[in-house]
Amino acid sequence: MRLTPRTAVAAFLAVGALALSAAFLTGCKKAETRKEGEILVGFSSRDLSAEYTAKLSEAIVDYARTKPGVKLVMVDAQSDVQKQFSQVENFIAQKVDAIILNPCELEASTPAVDRIKAAGIPLVLVNQVTKSAGDAYIGSNDFEAGRIAMEAIAKKLDGRGGVLMLHGIMGTSAQLQREAGAKEIFAKYPGLRLVDHQTASWDRAKALAITENWIQAHQGKFSAVFAHNDEMAMGALLALERAGLKKDVTVIGIDAIAQALTAVKEGRLDATVFQDAVGQGKGSVDAALLLAKKQPCPKETMIPFQLITRDNLSQFLK
Amino acid sequence: MPTLDRNLLHRFGLLFVILLVGLGLTFTTDTFLSVANLTNVARQVSINGILAVGVTFVLLTAGVDLSLGSVVALSGVACATFAHPGDHPVVVPIAVGLLTGAACGLVNGILVTRGGVAPFIVTLGMMTVARGLALIVSGGRPVANMSDELTALAGDFYGLPIPVLCFTGVALLAWFFLRHFRLGRHIYAVGGNEHAARASGVPVERVKLFAYGLCGLLTGLAGVVLAARITTGQPNAGQAYELDAIAAVVIGGTSLAGGVGTVTGTLLGVLLIGVINNGLDLQGVSSYYQAVIKGVIIVGAVWLDRRQARS
Repeated sequence: MRLTPRTAVAAFLAVGALALSAAFLTGCKKAETRKEGEILVGFSSRDLSAEYTAKLSEAIVDYARTKPGVKLVMVDAQSDVQKQFSQVENFIAQKVDAIILNPCELEASTPAVDRIKAAGIPLVLVNQVTKSAGDAYIGSNDFEAGRIAMEAIAKKLDGRGGVLMLHGIMGTSAQLQREAGAKEIFAKYPGLRLVDHQTASWDRAKALAITENWIQAHQGKFSAVFAHNDEMAMGALLALERAGLKKDVTVIGIDAIAQALTAVKEGRLDATVFQDAVGQGKGSVDAALLLAKKQPCPKETMIPFQLITRDNLSQFLK
Repeated sequence: MPTLDRNLLHRFGLLFVILLVGLGLTFTTDTFLSVANLTNVARQVSINGILAVGVTFVLLTAGVDLSLGSVVALSGVACATFAHPGDHPVVVPIAVGLLTGAACGLVNGILVTRGGVAPFIVTLGMMTVARGLALIVSGGRPVANMSDELTALAGDFYGLPIPVLCFTGVALLAWFFLRHFRLGRHIYAVGGNEHAARASGVPVERVKLFAYGLCGLLTGLAGVVLAARITTGQPNAGQAYELDAIAAVVIGGTSLAGGVGTVTGTLLGVLLIGVINNGLDLQGVSSYYQAVIKGVIIVGAVWLDRRQARS
């Protein structure tokens, strides 16, 4: 077939129209078939391609599905504060009965929270706080996660040695609090030394490159890597394994994503800290429904963290 | 040929900047100038390098490709989907990754040549379409559980990192191709003056289609190598990779207006960015300052280089 400009444009338009109508069919089915008395909940997830957030979002969607008379619409902000803001505005325009927000950031997502509160819609924040509070917060205390992970490193090193720290995206509450929690443990064990620290923005490829560079810069001066999440811990792990150094270095992450659990099982990763996605997901849906029905709901629900090593791994593997 | 002299000066100017940065790092750190660290630099630049060589072809035709990062993610995810242990022989996921990239590149090329849409718009569209497809294919989650045969692509071959071998191979072939093949010279002709090229019988449309297709194929290769390196197909990988790649090409003296540029220049541009990234980590410079310093050095290098070329 010979493609002339006209047929190319026609083909392009046809594909576009097809995609649009597909989106229309799937999208509008959700929005327009709202029944009388049905509770509509809008949920904006921070980023579905981050494994922990994906797990949490799945838990929210699955649990909402078990509730009769409840319709939950999920959207993905892809770590983009601006995009999340528009999603929130769309929810407000749709007059949803409650919003579950998994904010992108501590400071930057605050205006979105304020907008929801101004519209008088009940708001549940999950897994990340903002400067303004919602009507309920379901999360886990990230100070605790930082403390648990660093304490495990301190025990492993007998309280002495060099540590490297990989930060999450700077300014997210998880990064700030996990760092602060870890700092408490540094203060408790004067023999522990922070050799270097850098942000790998929760990203495995970045953590891998930074750790490779650290191996050059600080080889022999460190015996542990604390990563603010498992993605980065996996990156550090790969770098150390490829350099043949893993046996001398303890690596611990946070979140207990599937790959990290497998790595703990295989004896590659020393430990991870379990954040209860299902617990957080159920908690946030329950809170949203209570608020939508104007019933009292606790302001804050904390789901505890737990350290996972090879010894207690079996309880966490499904 | 005056253009040759200018290119030489160009290259030496940039080489000078790289040596300067390298010299600085040699004195301020005790690890920069070691075999292990330089191997690291080579390994870390290979993905950006493969992308930069690919996009050099497109930039030479006076086009642009903004979809590199998204296509890296899509190819990586597509590759990882077929790379579960025991599912297929290792050539299948590699071929899937490469073909995915090539297909995206060809679609870009067809829309640019036959559709007559500006490359900026076409590839901007591809950037979001490919990102969306990556999320659809992967269900929004990282595709894990890749076979050892595939992740071995990030390992060594007789002591040499395979990503580096891929990058060097790609660069050598591209260099040879642009210099010694008629199609290579046609690429310069199309970018230099499209009307003149058409008048003298160069099949302009086919040349452009080739450039976008090749760029896509190499982007697919970068996606496969990245997936092997991080042992997953990440739908969100490759954010803004196009910017680093295009920056490297432009630092290397390729004109955004097309028709002027060399693979050697691109190679040096890639190296400069890689050395800066590595050096800042070795120095323990905070991430906030890293971004500022990187930007200043990039613009500074181009400025110094152009000044030398003019004099």
